[in-house]
Amino acid sequence: MKIPDLIQVCLLCLMSIIVLASQQAVAAAPHPYEAAGTGYFRDGDTLPGAYLQYRQSSEYGGSLWGLGPGGGNVKRSSFWADAHSGVDSYMLRSCASCHEDQRYSLHSSRGNVTCVQCHRGQPISGINHYYSGMNPIRRHAYVCAKCHEAASASFATYVIHEPPPLASSTVEEFPLFYYAVLFMMILAVGVFALFIPYVTLWGLRELIGLFTERRNTDV
Amino acid sequence: MSSKINVRRFSLTQMMFHFFLIITFMLLSVTGIAWMYIETSWGKALATPFGGYVGALEVHRITGLILLAGFGIHILYTIWKVDWKHFPRSLFSRDSLVFQWRDVKDFILHLGWILGLSKGPQFDRWSWWEKFDYWAVWWGLIIVGVTGLMLYDPVFSSDYMPGWLLNIALWVHRIEAVLAMAHIFTIHFFIEHWRPRCFPFSATMFEGSKSIEHLREEHPAWVARIEAEGRMDEMLCPSAPVPLRILYFGVGYALIGLGVFLLVFALLNVGLLTLKL
Repeated sequence: MKIPDLIQVCLLCLMSIIVLASQQAVAAAPHPYEAAGTGYFRDGDTLPGAYLQYRQSSEYGGSLWGLGPGGGNVKRSSFWADAHSGVDSYMLRSCASCHEDQRYSLHSSRGNVTCVQCHRGQPISGINHYYSGMNPIRRHAYVCAKCHEAASASFATYVIHEPPPLASSTVEEFPLFYYAVLFMMILAVGVFALFIPYVTLWGLRELIGLFTERRNTDV
Repeated sequence: MSSKINVRRFSLTQMMFHFFLIITFMLLSVTGIAWMYIETSWGKALATPFGGYVGALEVHRITGLILLAGFGIHILYTIWKVDWKHFPRSLFSRDSLVFQWRDVKDFILHLGWILGLSKGPQFDRWSWWEKFDYWAVWWGLIIVGVTGLMLYDPVFSSDYMPGWLLNIALWVHRIEAVLAMAHIFTIHFFIEHWRPRCFPFSATMFEGSKSIEHLREEHPAWVARIEAEGRMDEMLCPSAPVPLRILYFGVGYALIGLGVFLLVFALLNVGLLTLKL
Protein backbone atom coordinates (compact mmCIF):
# COMPACT_ATOMS: atom_id res chain seq x y z
CA MET A 1 0.00 0.00 0.00
CA LYS A 2 1.29 3.37 -1.02
CA ILE A 3 1.48 6.15 1.48
CA PRO A 4 -1.01 8.38 -0.43
CA ASP A 5 -3.46 5.44 -0.33
CA LEU A 6 -2.93 5.13 3.44
CA ILE A 7 -3.62 8.83 3.83
CA GLN A 8 -6.73 8.42 1.69
CA VAL A 9 -7.99 5.54 3.89
CA CYS A 10 -7.25 7.51 7.04
CA LEU A 11 -9.06 10.53 5.65
CA LEU A 12 -12.03 8.33 4.71
CA CYS A 13 -12.13 6.89 8.23
CA LEU A 14 -11.90 10.34 9.74
CA MET A 15 -14.66 11.65 7.49
CA SER A 16 -16.93 8.72 8.26
CA ILE A 17 -16.33 9.22 11.99
CA ILE A 18 -17.14 12.91 11.67
CA VAL A 19 -20.24 12.18 9.59
CA LEU A 20 -21.49 9.35 11.83
CA ALA A 21 -20.74 11.23 15.02
CA SER A 22 -22.53 14.33 13.78
CA GLN A 23 -25.48 12.18 12.70
CA GLN A 24 -25.63 10.73 16.18
CA ALA A 25 -25.66 14.23 17.57
CA VAL A 26 -28.50 15.17 15.21
CA ALA A 27 -30.45 12.08 16.24
CA ALA A 28 -30.08 13.01 19.92
CA ALA A 29 -31.65 16.43 19.30
CA PRO A 30 -35.45 16.38 19.15
CA HIS A 31 -37.13 16.43 15.79
CA PRO A 32 -38.73 19.84 15.17
CA TYR A 33 -42.23 18.33 15.43
CA GLU A 34 -41.35 16.57 18.63
CA ALA A 35 -40.05 19.78 20.10
CA ALA A 36 -43.30 21.52 19.18
CA GLY A 37 -45.49 18.63 20.35
CA THR A 38 -45.61 16.50 23.42
CA GLY A 39 -43.26 13.82 22.08
CA TYR A 40 -45.31 11.59 24.28
CA PHE A 41 -47.86 9.01 23.28
CA ARG A 42 -49.33 6.27 25.35
CA ASP A 43 -49.48 2.76 23.88
CA GLY A 44 -53.19 3.11 23.25
CA ASP A 45 -52.72 6.28 21.21
CA THR A 46 -50.64 4.58 18.53
CA LEU A 47 -53.07 1.72 17.83
CA PRO A 48 -55.01 1.94 14.55
CA GLY A 49 -58.26 3.83 15.11
CA ALA A 50 -57.29 4.71 18.67
CA TYR A 51 -58.15 8.34 18.09
CA LEU A 52 -61.80 7.45 17.48
CA GLN A 53 -62.44 7.54 21.20
CA TYR A 54 -61.42 11.20 21.19
CA ARG A 55 -63.41 12.17 18.12
CA GLN A 56 -65.94 14.82 18.85
CA SER A 57 -68.41 13.40 16.35
CA SER A 58 -71.33 11.51 17.79
CA GLU A 59 -71.59 9.32 14.70
CA TYR A 60 -69.09 7.05 16.44
CA GLY A 61 -71.30 6.93 19.53
CA GLY A 62 -69.24 9.52 21.36
CA SER A 63 -67.96 8.79 24.83
CA LEU A 64 -69.96 8.59 28.06
CA TRP A 65 -73.12 7.41 26.28
CA GLY A 66 -73.10 10.21 23.75
CA LEU A 67 -73.36 12.91 26.43
CA GLY A 68 -70.19 14.64 25.26
CA PRO A 69 -69.67 17.26 22.54
CA GLY A 70 -69.84 16.64 18.82
CA GLY A 71 -73.56 16.39 18.21
CA GLY A 72 -75.43 18.77 15.95
CA ASN A 73 -74.40 19.86 12.49
CA VAL A 74 -70.87 19.33 11.18
CA LYS A 75 -69.90 21.78 8.43
CA ARG A 76 -68.85 20.14 5.18
CA SER A 77 -66.05 22.68 4.77
CA SER A 78 -64.48 21.39 7.98
CA PHE A 79 -63.28 18.40 5.91
CA TRP A 80 -61.68 20.53 3.17
CA ALA A 81 -57.99 21.21 2.77
CA ASP A 82 -58.90 24.89 2.30
CA ALA A 83 -61.87 25.53 4.53
CA HIS A 84 -62.42 28.99 3.01
CA SER A 85 -62.26 28.10 -0.68
CA GLY A 86 -64.99 29.96 -2.53
CA VAL A 87 -65.41 32.66 0.13
CA ASP A 88 -65.76 36.07 -1.55
CA SER A 89 -62.90 38.52 -1.01
CA TYR A 90 -61.52 36.19 1.65
CA MET A 91 -58.15 37.91 1.95
CA LEU A 92 -59.79 41.26 2.77
CA ARG A 93 -61.86 39.98 5.67
CA SER A 94 -61.15 39.43 9.36
CA CYS A 95 -61.98 36.07 10.96
CA ALA A 96 -64.63 37.58 13.25
CA SER A 97 -66.49 39.19 10.34
CA CYS A 98 -67.90 35.71 9.62
CA HIS A 99 -67.13 33.68 12.76
CA GLU A 100 -68.91 36.00 15.17
CA ASP A 101 -69.87 33.15 17.53
CA GLN A 102 -66.27 31.95 17.70
CA ARG A 103 -64.91 35.40 18.45
CA TYR A 104 -64.82 35.01 22.21
CA SER A 105 -63.46 32.09 24.17
CA LEU A 106 -61.39 31.81 27.30
CA HIS A 107 -58.37 31.59 25.01
CA SER A 108 -59.08 34.80 23.14
CA SER A 109 -60.70 36.98 25.78
CA ARG A 110 -58.47 36.00 28.71
CA GLY A 111 -55.34 34.53 27.18
CA ASN A 112 -55.11 36.98 24.23
CA VAL A 113 -54.66 34.00 21.89
CA THR A 114 -55.51 34.94 18.28
CA CYS A 115 -57.38 32.71 15.80
CA VAL A 116 -54.40 31.87 13.62
CA GLN A 117 -52.23 30.74 16.52
CA CYS A 118 -54.29 27.52 16.48
CA HIS A 119 -55.92 27.59 13.01
CA ARG A 120 -52.53 27.91 11.40
CA GLY A 121 -51.16 28.48 7.91
CA GLN A 122 -52.69 29.58 4.62
CA PRO A 123 -54.84 28.09 3.32
CA ILE A 124 -56.43 27.26 6.69
CA SER A 125 -57.58 23.66 6.53
CA GLY A 126 -60.85 22.44 7.98
CA ILE A 127 -60.42 20.99 11.48
CA ASN A 128 -61.57 17.57 10.28
CA HIS A 129 -59.35 17.47 7.19
CA TYR A 130 -57.14 14.44 7.43
CA TYR A 131 -53.85 16.33 7.21
CA SER A 132 -54.94 19.31 9.31
CA GLY A 133 -52.97 20.04 12.45
CA MET A 134 -56.35 20.46 14.11
CA ASN A 135 -57.47 16.94 13.26
CA PRO A 136 -58.24 15.18 16.56
CA ILE A 137 -55.60 12.57 15.71
CA ARG A 138 -52.81 15.07 16.24
CA ARG A 139 -54.44 18.23 17.58
CA HIS A 140 -53.05 17.70 21.08
CA ALA A 141 -49.47 17.42 19.84
CA TYR A 142 -49.52 19.98 17.02
CA VAL A 143 -51.69 22.69 18.56
CA CYS A 144 -52.51 22.33 22.27
CA ALA A 145 -49.02 21.32 23.34
CA LYS A 146 -47.58 24.56 21.98
CA CYS A 147 -48.65 26.07 25.29
CA HIS A 148 -50.01 23.17 27.38
CA GLU A 149 -46.95 21.00 27.82
CA ALA A 150 -47.68 17.24 27.70
CA ALA A 151 -51.24 17.76 26.40
CA SER A 152 -52.94 14.45 25.60
CA ALA A 153 -55.55 13.62 22.98
CA SER A 154 -58.14 13.55 25.75
CA PHE A 155 -57.07 17.04 26.85
CA ALA A 156 -57.62 18.23 23.28
CA THR A 157 -61.31 17.32 23.42
CA TYR A 158 -61.89 20.37 25.64
CA VAL A 159 -64.28 22.51 23.59
CA ILE A 160 -62.54 25.86 23.06
CA HIS A 161 -65.48 27.49 21.28
CA GLU A 162 -68.07 26.17 23.70
CA PRO A 163 -71.67 26.97 22.82
CA PRO A 164 -73.72 29.10 25.23
CA PRO A 165 -74.62 26.33 27.72
CA LEU A 166 -78.34 27.06 27.91
CA ALA A 167 -78.93 27.72 24.19
CA SER A 168 -81.53 25.32 22.83
CA SER A 169 -79.11 23.93 20.22
CA THR A 170 -76.69 22.91 22.99
CA VAL A 171 -78.98 20.02 24.04
CA GLU A 172 -77.96 18.34 20.81
CA GLU A 173 -74.42 19.67 20.47
CA PHE A 174 -73.20 18.89 23.99
CA PRO A 175 -75.98 17.29 26.11
CA LEU A 176 -74.19 16.87 29.44
CA PHE A 177 -72.96 20.47 29.30
CA TYR A 178 -76.55 21.68 28.87
CA TYR A 179 -78.02 19.51 31.63
CA ALA A 180 -75.24 20.16 34.17
CA VAL A 181 -75.51 23.93 33.75
CA LEU A 182 -79.31 23.74 33.79
CA PHE A 183 -79.19 21.83 37.10
CA MET A 184 -76.82 24.39 38.64
CA MET A 185 -78.97 27.29 37.44
CA ILE A 186 -82.10 25.72 38.93
CA LEU A 187 -80.22 25.31 42.22
CA ALA A 188 -78.98 28.92 42.19
CA VAL A 189 -82.22 30.50 41.06
CA GLY A 190 -84.14 28.31 43.54
CA VAL A 191 -82.06 29.50 46.50
CA PHE A 192 -82.60 33.16 45.64
CA ALA A 193 -86.24 32.72 44.71
CA LEU A 194 -86.76 31.44 48.27
CA PHE A 195 -84.49 33.78 50.20
CA ILE A 196 -84.84 37.20 48.57
CA PRO A 197 -88.60 37.61 49.08
CA TYR A 198 -88.31 35.82 52.43
CA VAL A 199 -85.67 38.08 53.98
CA THR A 200 -87.25 41.22 52.49
CA LEU A 201 -90.57 40.49 54.20
CA TRP A 202 -88.70 39.39 57.33
CA GLY A 203 -86.84 42.71 57.52
CA LEU A 204 -90.09 44.64 57.07
CA ARG A 205 -91.77 42.54 59.77
CA GLU A 206 -88.98 43.26 62.25
CA LEU A 207 -89.09 46.95 61.42
CA ILE A 208 -92.84 47.04 62.04
CA GLY A 209 -92.29 45.05 65.24
CA LEU A 210 -89.72 47.55 66.52
CA PHE A 211 -92.01 50.52 65.82
CA THR A 212 -95.03 48.96 67.51
CA GLU A 213 -92.87 47.99 70.52
CA ARG A 214 -91.65 51.55 70.82
CA ARG A 215 -95.18 52.88 70.58
CA ASN A 216 -96.35 50.46 73.27
CA THR A 217 -93.54 51.48 75.64
CA ASP A 218 -94.27 55.18 74.95
CA VAL A 219 -97.90 54.64 75.98
CA MET B 1 -74.44 44.93 85.13
CA SER B 2 -76.81 42.13 84.33
CA SER B 3 -77.34 43.36 80.72
CA LYS B 4 -73.65 42.71 80.08
CA ILE B 5 -74.00 39.01 80.71
CA ASN B 6 -73.63 36.76 77.69
CA VAL B 7 -74.37 33.09 76.99
CA ARG B 8 -71.59 31.06 75.41
CA ARG B 9 -72.65 29.89 71.97
CA PHE B 10 -69.51 28.86 70.06
CA SER B 11 -66.27 27.25 71.22
CA LEU B 12 -62.89 28.71 70.31
CA THR B 13 -62.38 25.88 67.77
CA GLN B 14 -65.67 26.68 66.06
CA MET B 15 -64.82 30.38 65.89
CA MET B 16 -61.41 29.51 64.41
CA PHE B 17 -63.12 27.37 61.75
CA HIS B 18 -65.41 30.26 60.88
CA PHE B 19 -62.56 32.79 60.75
CA PHE B 20 -60.47 30.43 58.61
CA LEU B 21 -63.45 30.09 56.27
CA ILE B 22 -63.87 33.89 56.06
CA ILE B 23 -60.23 34.47 55.12
CA THR B 24 -59.97 31.67 52.54
CA PHE B 25 -63.43 32.44 51.11
CA MET B 26 -62.60 36.12 50.66
CA LEU B 27 -59.21 35.40 49.09
CA LEU B 28 -60.85 32.91 46.71
CA SER B 29 -63.60 35.41 45.93
CA VAL B 30 -61.19 38.21 45.04
CA THR B 31 -58.89 36.04 42.92
CA GLY B 32 -61.77 34.13 41.33
CA ILE B 33 -63.70 37.28 40.40
CA ALA B 34 -60.48 38.88 39.17
CA TRP B 35 -60.09 35.93 36.77
CA MET B 36 -63.75 35.92 35.74
CA TYR B 37 -63.60 39.67 35.03
CA ILE B 38 -60.03 39.78 33.67
CA GLU B 39 -61.26 41.21 30.34
CA THR B 40 -62.56 44.31 32.17
CA SER B 41 -60.35 47.00 33.68
CA TRP B 42 -61.95 46.32 37.09
CA GLY B 43 -60.93 42.65 36.88
CA LYS B 44 -57.38 43.61 35.91
CA ALA B 45 -57.25 46.00 38.87
CA LEU B 46 -58.41 43.22 41.20
CA ALA B 47 -55.68 40.93 39.87
CA THR B 48 -52.95 43.53 40.16
CA PRO B 49 -52.06 42.94 43.84
CA PHE B 50 -51.44 39.29 42.93
CA GLY B 51 -49.25 40.17 39.97
CA GLY B 52 -51.82 39.90 37.19
CA TYR B 53 -54.00 36.97 36.27
CA VAL B 54 -51.26 34.35 36.44
CA GLY B 55 -50.50 35.26 40.05
CA ALA B 56 -54.20 35.59 40.89
CA LEU B 57 -54.87 32.07 39.56
CA GLU B 58 -51.90 30.67 41.44
CA VAL B 59 -53.12 32.21 44.71
CA HIS B 60 -56.62 30.92 43.89
CA ARG B 61 -55.33 27.37 43.44
CA ILE B 62 -53.23 27.31 46.58
CA THR B 63 -55.93 28.96 48.71
CA GLY B 64 -58.42 26.42 47.36
CA LEU B 65 -56.16 23.57 48.47
CA ILE B 66 -55.78 25.13 51.92
CA LEU B 67 -59.56 25.50 52.19
CA LEU B 68 -60.08 21.87 51.16
CA ALA B 69 -57.53 20.77 53.77
CA GLY B 70 -59.45 22.80 56.35
CA PHE B 71 -62.67 21.18 55.17
CA GLY B 72 -61.07 17.77 55.65
CA ILE B 73 -60.08 18.71 59.21
CA HIS B 74 -63.61 19.98 59.81
CA ILE B 75 -65.08 16.65 58.65
CA LEU B 76 -62.85 14.84 61.15
CA TYR B 77 -63.88 17.36 63.83
CA THR B 78 -67.55 16.73 63.04
CA ILE B 79 -67.11 12.96 63.27
CA TRP B 80 -65.29 13.42 66.58
CA LYS B 81 -68.06 15.68 67.91
CA VAL B 82 -70.85 13.18 67.24
CA ASP B 83 -72.17 11.61 70.43
CA TRP B 84 -71.43 8.00 69.40
CA LYS B 85 -72.74 6.55 72.68
CA HIS B 86 -76.29 7.53 71.83
CA PHE B 87 -75.89 7.18 68.07
CA PRO B 88 -78.03 7.49 65.93
CA ARG B 89 -80.54 9.09 68.31
CA SER B 90 -78.00 11.77 69.21
CA LEU B 91 -78.08 13.07 65.63
CA PHE B 92 -81.63 14.25 66.26
CA SER B 93 -81.00 15.90 69.60
CA ARG B 94 -81.91 19.55 70.13
CA ASP B 95 -78.24 20.58 69.96
CA SER B 96 -77.72 18.82 66.64
CA LEU B 97 -77.36 20.67 63.33
CA VAL B 98 -79.12 17.85 61.47
CA PHE B 99 -82.38 18.96 59.83
CA GLN B 100 -85.38 17.61 61.67
CA TRP B 101 -89.16 17.68 61.42
CA ARG B 102 -89.12 20.52 63.96
CA ASP B 103 -87.27 22.71 61.43
CA VAL B 104 -90.08 22.32 58.92
CA LYS B 105 -92.61 23.35 61.55
CA ASP B 106 -90.36 26.24 62.63
CA PHE B 107 -90.07 27.39 59.03
CA ILE B 108 -93.84 27.43 58.57
CA LEU B 109 -94.37 29.19 61.92
CA HIS B 110 -91.67 31.75 61.10
CA LEU B 111 -93.24 32.43 57.72
CA GLY B 112 -96.60 32.79 59.47
CA TRP B 113 -95.07 35.29 61.90
CA ILE B 114 -93.54 37.29 59.03
CA LEU B 115 -96.94 37.48 57.36
CA GLY B 116 -98.61 38.34 60.67
CA LEU B 117 -100.67 35.14 60.74
CA SER B 118 -99.29 33.38 63.82
CA LYS B 119 -96.97 33.72 66.80
CA GLY B 120 -93.31 33.18 66.03
CA PRO B 121 -91.60 29.81 66.57
CA GLN B 122 -89.66 29.06 69.76
CA PHE B 123 -86.26 28.33 68.22
CA ASP B 124 -84.02 25.95 70.11
CA ARG B 125 -80.25 26.07 69.75
CA TRP B 126 -80.26 26.36 65.94
CA SER B 127 -82.85 28.04 63.75
CA TRP B 128 -83.57 26.55 60.36
CA TRP B 129 -81.57 29.23 58.47
CA GLU B 130 -78.53 28.66 60.69
CA LYS B 131 -78.67 24.96 59.82
CA PHE B 132 -79.11 25.86 56.14
CA ASP B 133 -76.06 28.16 56.23
CA TYR B 134 -74.00 25.43 57.87
CA TRP B 135 -74.91 22.68 55.39
CA ALA B 136 -74.76 25.05 52.42
CA VAL B 137 -71.02 25.28 53.05
CA TRP B 138 -70.84 21.49 52.92
CA TRP B 139 -72.57 21.00 49.59
CA GLY B 140 -71.02 24.17 48.19
CA LEU B 141 -67.52 23.04 49.11
CA ILE B 142 -68.12 19.56 47.72
CA ILE B 143 -69.24 21.04 44.37
CA VAL B 144 -66.53 23.71 44.04
CA GLY B 145 -63.94 21.39 45.60
CA VAL B 146 -64.43 18.49 43.19
CA THR B 147 -64.63 20.75 40.11
CA GLY B 148 -61.74 22.87 41.42
CA LEU B 149 -59.52 19.82 41.78
CA MET B 150 -60.47 18.76 38.24
CA LEU B 151 -59.44 22.19 36.96
CA TYR B 152 -56.30 22.43 39.11
CA ASP B 153 -54.11 20.83 36.42
CA PRO B 154 -56.18 20.18 33.29
CA VAL B 155 -53.38 18.33 31.50
CA PHE B 156 -53.06 15.89 34.39
CA SER B 157 -56.77 15.44 35.09
CA SER B 158 -57.64 14.89 31.42
CA ASP B 159 -55.53 11.73 31.56
CA TYR B 160 -58.23 10.27 33.83
CA MET B 161 -61.37 11.72 32.19
CA PRO B 162 -62.37 13.12 28.81
CA GLY B 163 -61.04 16.67 28.44
CA TRP B 164 -64.51 18.00 27.57
CA LEU B 165 -65.62 17.23 31.13
CA LEU B 166 -63.57 20.30 32.07
CA ASN B 167 -65.96 22.50 30.05
CA ILE B 168 -68.67 21.28 32.41
CA ALA B 169 -66.48 21.48 35.51
CA LEU B 170 -65.62 25.12 34.82
CA TRP B 171 -69.25 26.19 34.44
CA VAL B 172 -70.39 24.23 37.49
CA HIS B 173 -67.50 25.74 39.49
CA ARG B 174 -68.40 29.22 38.28
CA ILE B 175 -72.14 29.00 38.99
CA GLU B 176 -71.66 27.46 42.44
CA ALA B 177 -69.06 30.11 43.32
CA VAL B 178 -71.29 32.96 42.16
CA LEU B 179 -74.20 31.42 44.10
CA ALA B 180 -72.09 31.14 47.27
CA MET B 181 -70.72 34.68 47.01
CA ALA B 182 -74.08 36.24 46.20
CA HIS B 183 -75.68 34.34 49.08
CA ILE B 184 -73.02 35.36 51.61
CA PHE B 185 -72.81 39.00 50.48
CA THR B 186 -76.58 39.53 50.57
CA ILE B 187 -78.62 36.93 52.48
CA HIS B 188 -76.07 35.90 55.12
CA PHE B 189 -74.98 39.48 55.83
CA PHE B 190 -78.60 40.63 55.97
CA ILE B 191 -79.82 37.91 58.34
CA GLU B 192 -76.84 38.09 60.70
CA HIS B 193 -76.02 41.81 60.63
CA TRP B 194 -78.43 44.05 58.78
CA ARG B 195 -81.94 43.04 59.81
CA PRO B 196 -83.37 45.47 62.36
CA ARG B 197 -82.88 43.20 65.40
CA CYS B 198 -79.15 42.68 64.69
CA PHE B 199 -78.22 45.95 63.01
CA PRO B 200 -75.49 47.14 62.64
CA PHE B 201 -73.23 44.23 63.57
CA SER B 202 -73.45 40.93 65.42
CA ALA B 203 -70.12 39.82 66.88
CA THR B 204 -71.31 36.37 68.04
CA MET B 205 -68.86 34.51 65.79
CA PHE B 206 -65.96 36.61 67.09
CA GLU B 207 -66.92 36.76 70.77
CA GLY B 208 -68.37 33.27 70.88
CA SER B 209 -71.22 34.53 73.02
CA LYS B 210 -74.38 36.60 72.77
CA SER B 211 -76.36 38.66 75.26
CA ILE B 212 -78.99 36.66 77.10
CA GLU B 213 -81.76 39.17 76.25
CA HIS B 214 -81.11 38.77 72.55
CA LEU B 215 -81.03 34.98 72.87
CA ARG B 216 -84.31 34.99 74.82
CA GLU B 217 -85.86 36.62 71.75
CA GLU B 218 -84.09 34.60 69.07
CA HIS B 219 -83.58 31.20 70.73
CA PRO B 220 -86.12 31.12 73.60
CA ALA B 221 -86.44 27.31 73.72
CA TRP B 222 -82.68 26.93 74.03
CA VAL B 223 -82.38 29.42 76.92
CA ALA B 224 -85.37 27.82 78.66
CA ARG B 225 -83.84 24.36 78.24
CA ILE B 226 -80.48 25.46 79.68
CA GLU B 227 -82.26 27.03 82.65
CA ALA B 228 -84.42 23.95 83.19
CA GLU B 229 -81.33 21.74 83.14
CA GLY B 230 -79.65 24.09 85.62
CA ARG B 231 -76.66 24.68 83.32
CA MET B 232 -77.09 28.43 82.96
CA ASP B 233 -74.36 29.35 85.46
CA GLU B 234 -71.67 27.48 83.56
CA MET B 235 -72.87 28.90 80.20
CA LEU B 236 -72.74 32.54 81.29
CA CYS B 237 -69.72 34.70 80.55
CA PRO B 238 -68.94 38.41 80.46
CA SER B 239 -69.05 40.17 77.11
CA ALA B 240 -65.76 41.11 75.49
CA PRO B 241 -64.00 44.32 76.66
CA VAL B 242 -64.64 47.44 74.60
CA PRO B 243 -61.30 47.55 72.70
CA LEU B 244 -61.86 43.99 71.52
CA ARG B 245 -65.43 44.80 70.50
CA ILE B 246 -64.11 47.73 68.46
CA LEU B 247 -61.60 45.38 66.82
CA TYR B 248 -64.34 42.83 66.00
CA PHE B 249 -66.46 45.59 64.51
CA GLY B 250 -63.57 46.95 62.45
CA VAL B 251 -62.45 43.59 61.10
CA GLY B 252 -66.04 42.48 60.54
CA TYR B 253 -66.98 45.59 58.58
CA ALA B 254 -63.77 45.51 56.55
CA LEU B 255 -64.77 41.99 55.40
CA ILE B 256 -68.44 42.91 54.90
CA GLY B 257 -67.29 45.96 52.94
CA LEU B 258 -65.05 43.83 50.76
CA GLY B 259 -67.94 41.48 50.02
CA VAL B 260 -70.30 44.33 49.14
CA PHE B 261 -67.61 45.96 46.99
CA LEU B 262 -67.15 42.71 45.04
CA LEU B 263 -70.91 42.27 44.65
CA VAL B 264 -71.63 45.84 43.50
CA PHE B 265 -68.76 46.06 41.04
CA ALA B 266 -69.40 42.58 39.70
CA LEU B 267 -73.00 43.63 38.95
CA LEU B 268 -71.88 46.94 37.40
CA ASN B 269 -69.41 45.21 35.10
CA VAL B 270 -71.40 42.11 34.23
CA GLY B 271 -72.46 43.61 30.88
CA LEU B 272 -68.83 43.79 29.75
CA LEU B 273 -68.28 40.04 30.06
CA THR B 274 -68.16 37.98 26.88
CA LEU B 275 -69.37 34.88 28.75
CA LYS B 276 -72.78 33.80 27.51
CA LEU B 277 -75.24 31.58 29.34
